[in-house]
Amino acid sequence: MAAPMELRCWGGGWGLPSVHPESLTVMAYAKFSGAPLAVNTINNSWRAPKGDVPVLISEDIVISQPAKILNFLRKQQYNADYELSAKQGADTLAYIALVEEKLLPSLLHTFWVDAENYCSVTKPWFASRIAFPLNLYLPGKMSREALNRILLTRGGPPFYSLTEVEAQIYRDAKECLNLLSKRLGTSQFFFGDTPTTLDAFVFGFLAPIYKVCFPRVHLQEHLKQLPNLCRFCDDILTCYFRLTASGHSPTGQDTADANLQKLTQLVNKESNLIEKMDDNLRKSPQHPPRRLKTLKLAAGGEESSPLNRLSP
Amino acid sequence: AAEPWPENAALYQQLKEEQILLSDNASSLAVQAFLQMCNLPIRVVCRANAEYMSPSGKVPFIHVGNQVVSELGPIVQFVKAKGHSLSDGLDEVQKAEMKAYMELVNNMLLTAELYLQWCDDVTVEEITHPRYGSPYPWPLNHILSYQKQWEVRRKMKAIGWAGKTLQQVLEDVDQCCQALSQRLGTQPYFFNKQPTELDALVFGHLFTILTTQLTTDELSEKVKHYSNLTAFCRRIEQQYFEGNDKESSSTAAARSAKKSLLR
Repeated sequence: MAAPMELRCWGGGWGLPSVHPESLTVMAYAKFSGAPLAVNTINNSWRAPKGDVPVLISEDIVISQPAKILNFLRKQQYNADYELSAKQGADTLAYIALVEEKLLPSLLHTFWVDAENYCSVTKPWFASRIAFPLNLYLPGKMSREALNRILLTRGGPPFYSLTEVEAQIYRDAKECLNLLSKRLGTSQFFFGDTPTTLDAFVFGFLAPIYKVCFPRVHLQEHLKQLPNLCRFCDDILTCYFRLTASGHSPTGQDTADANLQKLTQLVNKESNLIEKMDDNLRKSPQHPPRRLKTLKLAAGGEESSPLNRLSP
Repeated sequence: AAEPWPENAALYQQLKEEQILLSDNASSLAVQAFLQMCNLPIRVVCRANAEYMSPSGKVPFIHVGNQVVSELGPIVQFVKAKGHSLSDGLDEVQKAEMKAYMELVNNMLLTAELYLQWCDDVTVEEITHPRYGSPYPWPLNHILSYQKQWEVRRKMKAIGWAGKTLQQVLEDVDQCCQALSQRLGTQPYFFNKQPTELDALVFGHLFTILTTQLTTDELSEKVKHYSNLTAFCRRIEQQYFEGNDKESSSTAAARSAKKSLLR
């Protein structure tokens, strides 16, 4: 590859590399298949997100939807499904369709439509990452689009009010989670020991439900009752996404350690100097003896685990 | 307590010759196949206003005793409550797989059929508009057609299909058929020996695609590419629909001017 591919997507929080399900799916797939991706999270700059997010930019090609991005990566020989049989490939498509039909509406609802969740968590989070004045408009638009999608695909008779639709989509989501849990069983990933496209999609949809802390969380509670799905998410996070809440790779942690050591040495030197000065002062007759407190090294707040940094 | 299945159970759909569209015909055929597989007698009644009679606005719906149930999912549950089920022999993982594949068919095949009918301008003009409003006088036929078209296009936009070209939609259909073909393999039914609601659903959609004449043959070509799928359709047609005194789909297909038989 001449230039590394760049992925623009929403950033992370609560221990996740991204809180947006589709961005998370693409990131997970890239990790599974070993594709070198430079992840640029959307932050408070004027390059506002236009159209779909996530977006993959490779040389001059711009690709926007997760399915198309995954296809592109496969064509570039980054294929996580290499060892799957034809039937397993078919199963992948079927389960992805199941997750999109049954789980996505309630995910959208939890993030964007439920009033308490939206106002206290989603809107501030997204607004803080979009530049003014778009941050006043864009979260609202995303919320309206989510509601629209839910109503158009699931609303209509015999449901005549939003609460009935909500009840149905949460029922469907819980059933879907149960089905996924049964399918996963006790194995580490959906098709044995290596993660594939299906694992990327399921992780992308489950992890935000699992990790993001909302005031209204009944879907999360249901998910926590399915320990194999929770273990699945945690495994992927620890194996493939070590310390990514701030985008640091393991080498980042080493440099942080090195910095910490240097700082410790400096402070120790300072404290030695101060002790020497103190001795000199004591030996000098004019001043009464004083004891200077030795400087203790406090663990730097910024070097603490980034995983805790954004915890609410 | 489960009441026995009455003799006069009826399935309502739109008028077969002039009005019914590809997607509705597929759904109706799927339900008919399912009921045949359960050995439950049903007669098909064609009404121009079937869509409006249905409790959920979608066809087909069945009228059994004093209950009205529409769409395959609720009908399967209703039939199960009466004590008939095709998927009892499956274990949990297989049931999960079956549900997943049914969602795949709904997500890809049904949406592609809707796209082709309502978002592809050529098909809309030549087939859909004339057929959809045919039982009604002018100007009602135009108004109803445009209203339905606007509704479907809105839904397509919400799920992100509005930006797709016809070629992309056909590729999605191909991918879906490939998945179904790989899953079916050389078995007679999707879960080996016994048919399930998944078989009924797949049959409904594939048979309709294969036997409906549209402006182009591209859609049916995609399905014909997979020989085990065409063999599957033929097998189910022979087993459950031929030798049937009542209006069966294959004989009706022969009579309908707009359909060409699969041979």
